[in-house]
Amino acid sequence: MPVATKPFTAIAGRLARTVLLLLFAAAGTILLVRFAPGFFSDSRELDARYAQATRPEDQPPQSLAQVALAEVHGWLRGDFGQSRQYEIPVAELIGARVKVSAALLLNGILSGWLLALCAALPISALRKGAAVLGLPFTLLLAAPSSALATACIVLNSGGPVLVLSLLVAAREFKFLRSLLEGTWRSPHLLQARAHGLPPLALVRLHILPNIAPQVCALATLSIVTALGALVPIEVIFTVPGVGQLAWSAVMNRDLPVLVAVSLLMASVVAFAGLFSAQNHPLEAA
Amino acid sequence: MNPRIAAILLALLILAAGLALWRLPHTYASQDRDAILAPATASHWTGTDELGRDRSVRVAAALLLGLGGAALAAALTTLLAAAVGLLAAFSPRPIAALLLFLSDGFLSLPWLFLLMMARSLLPLTATPIQTAIATFLVLAALGWPACARAIHRGACSLRTAEWLLHGHACGLKSGQLIRLHLLPHLRPLLLPQFLISIPAFLVAEANLGALGMGVGEPLPSWGAMLLELDNSALLAQSRWVYLPIALLVAVLLLLDCFTTQENPHA
Repeated sequence: MPVATKPFTAIAGRLARTVLLLLFAAAGTILLVRFAPGFFSDSRELDARYAQATRPEDQPPQSLAQVALAEVHGWLRGDFGQSRQYEIPVAELIGARVKVSAALLLNGILSGWLLALCAALPISALRKGAAVLGLPFTLLLAAPSSALATACIVLNSGGPVLVLSLLVAAREFKFLRSLLEGTWRSPHLLQARAHGLPPLALVRLHILPNIAPQVCALATLSIVTALGALVPIEVIFTVPGVGQLAWSAVMNRDLPVLVAVSLLMASVVAFAGLFSAQNHPLEAA
Repeated sequence: MNPRIAAILLALLILAAGLALWRLPHTYASQDRDAILAPATASHWTGTDELGRDRSVRVAAALLLGLGGAALAAALTTLLAAAVGLLAAFSPRPIAALLLFLSDGFLSLPWLFLLMMARSLLPLTATPIQTAIATFLVLAALGWPACARAIHRGACSLRTAEWLLHGHACGLKSGQLIRLHLLPHLRPLLLPQFLISIPAFLVAEANLGALGMGVGEPLPSWGAMLLELDNSALLAQSRWVYLPIALLVAVLLLLDCFTTQENPHA
C-alpha cells in the first residue's frame, strides 16, 4: 500500500524531527545554564541564618552528565524536578501558570487577528491612500513590545491582552494586506464585481475561502510571534504566567524550571510549525 | 518614504547625535547633583534624569551605540548565516542535514526568550562596555538561523548554474568561486537580510534592556531609557522623558523604508 504509507511515513518523519528538536532545546538549555557563572550558588546562602543549613543538603550535582541525569529523572517522575527558587515541584508551578498564559495568548491572538482582518480587508481594496491608512500598523510594528506595554501603564489604559493583540495585528496586517491585494485583483473576483455582487458577499463567498489556507498557516505562526512577546508583557504587567516564570527562572538560574519552560515553548513552536507546514506554505503571502 | 530621503534623515540624526556628544559640555555619565529631574533649561536642553544626567547627551549616545552595535551585529550575523548557508548547500548531505537541524534547533525557541536566556547567563560582574559587547554579540550569535535557511535555499538554486560548472572546469578554487561568483550572486539575498537584522536587533536590545538584561549602566541604551517611563514622578516633571521612545520609533520607521525597498515581501 505505498499510497497509504507515504503520508504516514512523512508525518512520522516530521514527528521524529520535532521530538529531536525538543531534545536539542532541552540539551541546549542544560548546557547553557550548567556553564553559566553562579550556577552552583544559592541566593539563600546570602542570609547567614540559612547559609549553614542549606549547603550540606542542597549540594548541586557537579558534572554535566549528573545535571542532565537529574533533569531526566525529574521528567520520568512526571514533576520535572524541584524548583530551586520556589522549592515546589516544577509541574505544579507551571500547571497553575499555563492557564493564565494560554488565556492571554488566545485572547491576544484572536483579537489581533480580528483587528488585522477588519483593517486589511477594506484597506487592501483601495487604489489610493492605503499606505496612509496602514500607517498606524507600521508605527505599531516599529514599537518594541516592552515600550507598548509601558505606554499602556503610563496612559493607565489597556492591559496585556491589548498590547499582545496590537503586536499580533501589526505583524499580520502586513501579510494579510499583501495577500488580499492579490486576491482583490484576481480575474474571478473582477468578474464577480462586474456582475454586481455586493462587497459582503464578495468577502464571504470569494475572498475568505480563497485565502483560508494561507491564513491558517499564518495563524499558527502568530503563536510564535505572541510567545516571543509574552515575556516582556507578563513581566511589565506582572501577569503570573509562564513568561514571568521564565524571566524569574533566568534571573535566578533555576535550571529545572528553565528546562521545563524551554521544553514547553519549544513544543508549542514545533507543533505550530508542524501544523503550518501541514497546511500551506506561505509563498503566496 | 523614498529610501534616499530616509537615508538623508537617518544621516542627519546620526550627525546631530555626534555633534551633541562632541559639543555639549556634559558626558553621558556625568551627574549634575543640583539638577536632579530638571526640566528643559539652557544648560540641559531636554532636562535631566533622576541621577541628574543630561538627557540630550544620553539619548545621542544611545542612538549611536544602538545603531552602531546593531549594524555591527547585523553584519556579523549575515556573515555567519552566509557561512552556514553556503556550507550546508555545498557539503555532503549528512553535514547539510546537521547544519539545517542546528538552525532549526535555534528557531525552535522564541527569539526573545532565547536571547534572554543566553544574555542572562553571561558573567554578572562585567563592566558596562563588556555588557554592551556581550549583548550585541549574543544578538549576532543567535540571529543567524532564519537568515542561514534563506541563504541555503538561494545557494541550492545556484548549485547547478552553468557559470559555476564553468568556473569549476576552469580550475577555480572553492574560495575564489565563493568570493568572485557566489557571493555577488547572493547579494540580493544578503543585503535585505542585513537590513532586516538592524531594526530587529534594535528592538531586541530595547526589549532586553527593559527586562534589565541589556547594556549596563551608566552606558545609555534604548532599553534602559524605556525603564524611565515606569517612574511616574519623572513623567510628571517633564514630557522630554518620551524623547528616547519617540526617537527609537522614528529610527525604526526610517530603517523600515530600506527593508521595504530591498525586500517588498519582508
